[in-house]
Amino acid sequence: MKNRKYFAMWALLGALMLVAAACGDDDGGETGGGGGTSATGGVVDCAADEFGCVEVQAGEPILLGGILTISADTAYLGTDAQHGVELAIDYLDGTFDATPGQLLGHDVEFQVEDETGTGGVCSTDGGQAAATAISAAPDVVAVIGTSCSSAALGVADQIMSDKGILLVSPSNTNPGLTSEEAHEPFYARTAHNDKIQGAIVAEFVFNELGLTTAATINDESPYADGLAAAFRDNFEALGGTITGIEAVNSADTQLEPVLTSLAQGEPEAVYGPNFPPVCGLTLLQGADIFPAGTVFLGSDGCLETSFVGQVGDPPADYYASSPDTTAFQGGDFYSNEYSPAFKEQYGTQTSVFNAHAFDAANVIFDAIEAVAADDGSGNLTISRTALKDAFFATSGYEGMTGIITCTPLGDCATDVTIGIFKYPHWDVEGGVEPIKPVYSDTKSLDEVI
Amino acid sequence: MGTATEERQERGAQLGRLERLPWRKIILIVLSILIVSIVAIGAFRTLTLPPDQRYAPAAWRDFIVLGVAQGAIYALVALGYTLVYGILRMINFAHGEVFMFGAFAAFFFSDAYERSGFLDANPWASIAIMLVVAMLTSMGVAVLLERVAYRPLRNAPRLVPLITAIGASLFLQNSARGFFGAQTRGFGVPTILDGTWTVLGLTVDRIQAVVLLTVVVAVILLSTFISKTTTGKSMRAVAADSEIASLMGIRVDRVIVTTFAIGGLLAGIAAVLFSMTFQAVDYTMGFRIGIAAFTAAVLGGIGSIWGAALGGISLGLLQSLGPALILTGYAIPSPFQLKDAFTFLVLVLVLIFRPGGLLGSGEAEKV
Amino acid sequence: MRGLPTASIVRAGLVGGVSALFVSLVGLYTRFADLELVGEQITLGRVLIPAPALVAAYVVTRPRFVGGERRPIVLGGGLAVGTFTGAVTGAVFALAVWFADWFGVDRIRQVFVQVTEPLIDFLTFDKGVPAGLAILVVLCLAGGAIGGFERTAPASIRTPAAVGVLTVLALGLLQRIVPIILIQLGIEADWLYTPSTRGLTWLGAAGIFVVAAAANVLWTRGGARAGQRVRTTIQEAPAAKLGLLVVTLSLLSVLPLLLGTVISEVLGQVMVFVLLGIGLNIVVGYAGLLDLGYVAFFAFGAYTTGLLTGALLNTTTGAAEPVLSADLNFYVAVWIVALMAAGLGLLIGAPILRLRGDYLAIVTLGLGEIVSIITASRWAQPLIGGPQGMRGVTNAEILGLNFQKDPQAFYYLALAFVLLALFVSWRLAASRVGRAWTAMREDEQVADAMGISTIKYKLLAFAMGGAIGALGGSLFAVNIGSLSPSSFGILISITALAVVVLGGLGSLPGVVVGALVLIGLPGLLREFEEYRLLIYGGALVAIMVLRPQGLIPNVRRSRELLEEEVEQDAWAKGVTGQAEAVVGVVPGGRLAGESENLE
Repeated sequence: MKNRKYFAMWALLGALMLVAAACGDDDGGETGGGGGTSATGGVVDCAADEFGCVEVQAGEPILLGGILTISADTAYLGTDAQHGVELAIDYLDGTFDATPGQLLGHDVEFQVEDETGTGGVCSTDGGQAAATAISAAPDVVAVIGTSCSSAALGVADQIMSDKGILLVSPSNTNPGLTSEEAHEPFYARTAHNDKIQGAIVAEFVFNELGLTTAATINDESPYADGLAAAFRDNFEALGGTITGIEAVNSADTQLEPVLTSLAQGEPEAVYGPNFPPVCGLTLLQGADIFPAGTVFLGSDGCLETSFVGQVGDPPADYYASSPDTTAFQGGDFYSNEYSPAFKEQYGTQTSVFNAHAFDAANVIFDAIEAVAADDGSGNLTISRTALKDAFFATSGYEGMTGIITCTPLGDCATDVTIGIFKYPHWDVEGGVEPIKPVYSDTKSLDEVI
Repeated sequence: MGTATEERQERGAQLGRLERLPWRKIILIVLSILIVSIVAIGAFRTLTLPPDQRYAPAAWRDFIVLGVAQGAIYALVALGYTLVYGILRMINFAHGEVFMFGAFAAFFFSDAYERSGFLDANPWASIAIMLVVAMLTSMGVAVLLERVAYRPLRNAPRLVPLITAIGASLFLQNSARGFFGAQTRGFGVPTILDGTWTVLGLTVDRIQAVVLLTVVVAVILLSTFISKTTTGKSMRAVAADSEIASLMGIRVDRVIVTTFAIGGLLAGIAAVLFSMTFQAVDYTMGFRIGIAAFTAAVLGGIGSIWGAALGGISLGLLQSLGPALILTGYAIPSPFQLKDAFTFLVLVLVLIFRPGGLLGSGEAEKV
Repeated sequence: MRGLPTASIVRAGLVGGVSALFVSLVGLYTRFADLELVGEQITLGRVLIPAPALVAAYVVTRPRFVGGERRPIVLGGGLAVGTFTGAVTGAVFALAVWFADWFGVDRIRQVFVQVTEPLIDFLTFDKGVPAGLAILVVLCLAGGAIGGFERTAPASIRTPAAVGVLTVLALGLLQRIVPIILIQLGIEADWLYTPSTRGLTWLGAAGIFVVAAAANVLWTRGGARAGQRVRTTIQEAPAAKLGLLVVTLSLLSVLPLLLGTVISEVLGQVMVFVLLGIGLNIVVGYAGLLDLGYVAFFAFGAYTTGLLTGALLNTTTGAAEPVLSADLNFYVAVWIVALMAAGLGLLIGAPILRLRGDYLAIVTLGLGEIVSIITASRWAQPLIGGPQGMRGVTNAEILGLNFQKDPQAFYYLALAFVLLALFVSWRLAASRVGRAWTAMREDEQVADAMGISTIKYKLLAFAMGGAIGALGGSLFAVNIGSLSPSSFGILISITALAVVVLGGLGSLPGVVVGALVLIGLPGLLREFEEYRLLIYGGALVAIMVLRPQGLIPNVRRSRELLEEEVEQDAWAKGVTGQAEAVVGVVPGGRLAGESENLE
């Protein structure tokens, strides 16, 4: 009896507090739309901007945020991009000298939040946690991220767009992010849309190699799934036939049964845009199962040193697609200045996306320069919407990875050059010279399905 | 007056009859009919697909050979689980990591030898060295594990060492990641083991043949060891009743350490063979194969050496034949992606009908 | 006087040395060499250098049991022993560093990737091999001495000192969070945290030390007795216990307003795992069924909620409708989800719950894996989106509160469900069902013989646990709005189990504490994400070996878990803390030593 009474009392108290709390107001956190403080030229109207302005006082750094996966298994992707941005900050003074430069007289501070989630890999909950943390910092001007598409799609892109913070991804390749239905206004990316990579590989197989039948095998990652789907759509549009679609798990080691099953359809090419060790196993085990002359293909996930160690002498022809760094617009710049600087400061590049991060940072810097209003004593005011508009208006920008022209739906790497590299002529440790693509093509988004 | 009581009595009798129905038997019978029909229909539909979609007979032969080959590897690792379970009645979740460290140890030697050319110049010597190194490393990790994580919990209720084992597995996995990095490493194979042999008209990869041979030899040796040698008999005694065994003068601690060491040894051999078969090592490999191996051990009847072997081979066959034979018939897209799911389902079903596993006693827990 | 054999000291020192090597090889020094805690000199890496020696000394100087008597070591002896231990540790450490330098860092890095020149520089304080190693050894000596001091100094000195130092350490580690809180409360933080390094200022650190130590002294003087009285009251009245819980949670409910969006987000995640923990606690803690596949219910709840509230599948072209879906209000859908999950629990449970403990563990593990595989499979893609996942789960909007966009609002929603689950769980445990579970847990055969239908109660546990787990999944889906298979792997099952075990099997306050420690701390200390799983694993092993009844033990369960030890001298001798509890077993009542354990 008494117990019940006590309990009821505490419960009531708890409930009242709950209600009270719910009626309380949100925290501040966001910088208010202060007002276009005496801008020289006076085109900054913060009150009209629904997301307000960011104010950077003289002597304070411009805050650049980052949502990247910098721990656990996918760390190679995030830390790589982080280094790319750091190099961009270094290059603000015109040289790669390991000392950061300044933008409009202010230092640039890059603060990275980890998008690894409770599942141990980059995922939705990690993206949400990181995005919440970043968006809570009142003075973040723009954010570079995310690494994985699952952390962005419907999660980080929404959170950032709700606060009006520009989010530019250096490595999201999932087509859905820039689709009509799903695109968020403040999201853009300098990485290529995988539809382009899938299309170029399909053309290579159908036109260059002259093969008309193909099969795909992908693992459970959205990256592989999307890329395989893009390949299939374009291959069939060219007139080819897809003889089989199979899926495996990235931890599988025994692929022979799957490959035997695929071999029933007698494809002339097998496309497996996966990660090690699955790509290597597909080649090793597939070479025994498929008839001689069958061609195997992978994507940039496979372009790794471990593949070389695992496969050794290729038992069959193997090609991997990847953004063609040899054809980077800033080709000389890339090979003579950027790459050596990267190697000196951070060691070998672990993914191809750090270059995209470099470009993303630079385009953001340009946009900031374009819209920031200096009141004469070094205080900057940056209108969020204006910044976003300036970024999306980028056109014909000669980035290191190619011409950057942003579409309204956020795809900025509109002209993408994908190269097909034949194993073992890969640009990895253990690769054999000459390291040149056997095929390279540039496409833009409207040319593909 | 009479009718009301009579009605109640009747209802009572009806309910009594209802309760006395052998519900469990009925459900089991219905379940078995269901399973048999699903399997039969699936198989039938697969086998009667139009000729251009059907699997060639050569493909079926391949599926079986591949299944057995993969199963052999599972069996080798499963032996370690079954040994420890027999003695301690606990599933050593961290055995996969014992395996993984052995593989890494072998890898470092293999890598160095490959680069210096020693691997191809003296293949047998290099393989021997790799085996020894792997066995020693795995034994070391296994013994360390026993000493630090399991010995203090020798007499704890069953839940406790199980959770400790999971924790140890996580810890070891991530230590390996810290030590060696998260990237996959490619493992080279000496040329003598590259290629195939044709035995009885079947073409098998050389390395697969070696694995099969090793398993057969290991199982025979192990059984003989357990039944004929003194240490083996001590192990059996401790497995039966450790208190009485210690009263009989058997040093229980020593025996347990020996068991872990033997399990580690087998894991080391399995590690080298596995790495040479799949030519890749990474820090998560132990976890994956661990789950498969103790599934195999449980499937076959944990605590029994022949059970581990049988379970391993069965598991391999299930993984390769299952999707091919049954799931294809139901036009499931990408059936091989579900092979692990299929295997676990089979495990559940086996345990429902034979709670002790295939070679188990067939009864539920004895007191 | 000392009674400590040299062998034991040397062994402790060696273990300390090996631990230091482990810390280096796993990369902790490299990672945290630059994490400033206080000023510019005290970095986390530097603090970790004498740490192994400190811990080794602390352990080796623990009171021994000679002839059933507890013999602590005096201060002088403690310092000596501690320093000696530190010397051994330092010797091992220095020897290893010297070896690495001599043998060639590049060659070692072929195997151990963390052994780099910067690491050697760090460990020799940039002073080169002979001089730097000397400093290293001295630091280890100091660490050992401090460890010995901490163990043997009079309580009036050592406890405040320890509390002070630990508080400084904690606030230094929370350097990303505390300034945000202070700013939101309107307090300028510059005097406490240096803006350039993010660490504490010397002034701030000193201030914190003094305040914390003083608070501790005051507590021991006066507060402890009051605390003791409160504790006994709590233990004697179960309702007061629950009342305390409710009050604590209500206090927690005010926190989001103080702490802002970032911490609310973390707390929201914590609440989801508390829910998972409550559910798993019913299965593992109350009914004693080891379930290693709890993620199955979590995933089921999340995806079903998505399907019932009109979420869309992500495709490469944008979005698509799932083959089966409905567009219900969340508050209607969530109960359907719970019911379906309960049904699923019954369905799955019926065939497998007859199996013995280990077999059940493997089967549930398998079932969890099956669900993980299916979520990412092409087969289920038309329904739940495959690897691309789903998005557009409802935001459960009510009274203008958007629970997806507003972390603080979501926290309250989650809290409401947690309170509900706590209530249900508590009532179940106190009812006939709970007593049946206890009987089953202690001896299944006897329970069966007494007429308790074990299968019925097991099924009930499984169904209830499943329903609550699905609720957790449902809330997770609402919080994030997008679902991807990478969130539903085996690690979730293991984490949930760790939460329950760490907090204490069968203990509801334990679940809350477990979730706060295992989800809340890593959520706040994102720098440690890289080592989160390593720490989880180590913590699980440590807890099971040292304190299997968990942080906040359930009295009944601890008796079961510790029961065996009453006869086992060996175990009692091995762990000091246990000895107190064991010695104080009172037949028919609670463990006399319980109150100490509850600290």
